[in-house]
Amino acid sequence: MLRYIVTRFALWVPSVLLVMLGVYALAFFGAGDPIKLIFLRAPGDVAYDPVRIEAIRESAGLTKPFIEQFTNYVVHLLSGNFGNSLSSGRSVWAMVSAAAPVSFSLGLCAIVLTAVVAIPLGLIAGLNQNTRLDYTILGSALFLWAIPPYVAGPLLMVGLLLLLPGMSVPYGWGGIFDVRIVLPLIVLSFQPIALIVRQTRAAVIEVLSEDFVRTARAKGVPETLVALKHILRPVLTPVVTQLGLIMITIVNGAIFVELVFGLPGLGRLTVKALTDSDYPVILAITLIGSFLVMLSNLLVDVLYPLLDPRAADSMKGR
Amino acid sequence: MSSAPLLAVADDPPVSLWRDAWGRLIRNRLAVAGLVMVLVLAFAAAFGPMLTPYDFLSQNLDARNAGPSLVHLFGTDDLGRDVFSRVLYGTRTAFVVAIVVTALAVTIGVTLGATAGFFGGLFDRIIMWFTDMTMSVPNLLLVVVINASLKAPLSQWMETQYLATLNPFFRETIWIDFLLVFGSMALIAWPPYARLVRAQVLSIRSRPYITAARALGLTNRIILTRYVVPNAIGPLIVSVSAGLGTAMVLESAFSFLGVGVNPPTPSWGNMISDGLRVWQHYPHLLAVPAIVLGLATVAFSFLGDGLNDALNPRGSK
Repeated sequence: MLRYIVTRFALWVPSVLLVMLGVYALAFFGAGDPIKLIFLRAPGDVAYDPVRIEAIRESAGLTKPFIEQFTNYVVHLLSGNFGNSLSSGRSVWAMVSAAAPVSFSLGLCAIVLTAVVAIPLGLIAGLNQNTRLDYTILGSALFLWAIPPYVAGPLLMVGLLLLLPGMSVPYGWGGIFDVRIVLPLIVLSFQPIALIVRQTRAAVIEVLSEDFVRTARAKGVPETLVALKHILRPVLTPVVTQLGLIMITIVNGAIFVELVFGLPGLGRLTVKALTDSDYPVILAITLIGSFLVMLSNLLVDVLYPLLDPRAADSMKGR
Repeated sequence: MSSAPLLAVADDPPVSLWRDAWGRLIRNRLAVAGLVMVLVLAFAAAFGPMLTPYDFLSQNLDARNAGPSLVHLFGTDDLGRDVFSRVLYGTRTAFVVAIVVTALAVTIGVTLGATAGFFGGLFDRIIMWFTDMTMSVPNLLLVVVINASLKAPLSQWMETQYLATLNPFFRETIWIDFLLVFGSMALIAWPPYARLVRAQVLSIRSRPYITAARALGLTNRIILTRYVVPNAIGPLIVSVSAGLGTAMVLESAFSFLGVGVNPPTPSWGNMISDGLRVWQHYPHLLAVPAIVLGLATVAFSFLGDGLNDALNPRGSK
C-alpha cells in the first residue's frame, strides 16, 4: 500500500513539472518581450531605446537559455516567488494570496453542497429508475447542466430583483457566513450537481444488477438498508473518482461566477489579467488551477484502494 | 427469458447494425426531440441569414433596444440591430466553430489514441501520460494562456505578411480570431477522444470474435472493416455528438470572456455578454441568446444519450 502511494507520488511530480514546462514555454515563446511590455506602460520612452532595453534584459537574466530561465522560475516558485505583475508591479504572490481565500472557500463550499445534494438525488433517481421521480430528477439535472454559470447567475439576479428591493440583491463578498455567498454558491454548484446526479444514477443502476444486491434482497434485508449499505458504498467509488472533473468544472465556473457577482477571487483576477495581458499573473493562476486538479487526481488515486478493497487486492498482486 | 422470442429473433431476416440502431433511436422520444432540434438549428445555420429581411449588421438607430414585436421577432439590440437575425447568424458561428473544432479534436484524438492502443508499450504510456496531463489543466485557463501568448505573434505575422504581399486576406483579423478559437479549443478537446479510441482498440483487439475471425482465416482488411471499425465507431459517434454541444458552450464561454470570436461577428457568447450589461433594463437581450444556447446544449445532449442507447444496446438499460 505504502509502495503504491510512493509510486503514485513519484509519477505525479514529473507530471506537475511537465505541465509547468508547457505553460511556461507558451509564455516564453509567445507572450512577447516582458521588458518592452513593462516599459510600454511606464512613462518615458525607454521601450524604444534598444540599448537600454538590452541592458535591462541582461540584468534581469532574460538573455539566459530557456531551460535555465525555466529552472530559475521553478526554484523561485518553491519559495513562493511568482514574480511581479506587469500591469501593477505588485508581487504576483501577494495578489494571488489575497484573492485565493475567496475562491478556495467558495469552491470548497460548492464541493460540500454538491456532495450533500447530488449523491442522495442520484441514489433516489437510480433506485426509482424509469419512474416519474427519476425523470424529474434526471431532467432537472440535464437542465442545470445545459445552463452555463454566466447565464444562470444573471437570470437568478433578475429573479431576485423582482422579489427584493434593489439594494439588498446580493453582490460582493463577506466571507462564507455572509448571506451574499448563497447565490454564487448555488450557481457554482449547478453543473457539478448535474454531473454527480447523472454519475450516481448510472452507478446505482449498474450496481442494482449485481449478485450481492439480489442476495441481500433474497435474505430479506430491508430495502433502506440495502440502499444504504449494499448500494451506496460501491456507488461512491466511481463518484469519488470524478473529483478531478468536478475541480475543473468549479475552477471554470468560478471565473464566471466571480465576474457576475463581483467576488474578489482568482477568477476575477484571471479575467483582469487577461484584458491587461498580464502574463505573470495568468501563468501563476493557471499553474495553481492545474496544481489543484492534479492534486485532487492524486488524492483520488491514493483513496481509491481504501474505498474499494477489490482494487487494493489487485494492487497487492502486482 | 422464454424460448419463444428467441426463436422469433432467429427467424427474422438479418438486420444491419445501422438500421437496427436507427430503429432504436427513433423509438426514443427524447432522442427524436433532440434530433429534431439539432436539425432545426442546422437548418438555421445553413439558411438562416436568408430567412430574415434584416442584415445582422444593419443598424436602425430609431428602433434601439426594442422589445420583441412582429416587426422584430426577438426585438433589437442597443444599436438597433435585429436580434433574430443575429441569433440566426450566431447559430452559423456556433456550428462552424463546433464542427471545425470537433473535427480537429477527433483527428488528433483518434490518431494518438489508435496508435497508442495499437503499438502499446512505452509509446502508449507516454501518449497517455501526455493526455492525462492535458486533461488536468483547467480548460478555460489553458485557452486563456494560449490566447494571451499566441494572439500577439499571430497578428504580427499577419501584419508582416500583409506588408510583404499586400494581399488583403492578411488584413482580415477575423481569421486570427477563428484560427485562435479553433486551435486553442481543439488543443483542449482532443484528450477524451484519444482515451476513448485507445480503450476501444485495446478491448476490441482481444475480443473472441476477432480471434474467431482470425481462426476463420479472414484477412486483416476484412477484420478491420467488418469487425473492428463498426464496433469502435459507435462510442465515438456518441462522444462526437456530445462534443459538438460542448464545443458550442465553450465557444460562447470564450466569447463571453472576450477571447472568442470578436464583434461584430455575432456569436451567442458575445450576445450574452452584451446582454449582461443591460439586463436590468432589456432582459430580452440576455434571455434570447441564453435560451437558444441552452436549447442547443440540451438538444445535443438528448441526441447523444439516445445515440448511446441505440448504438451500444448492451451498455444501456
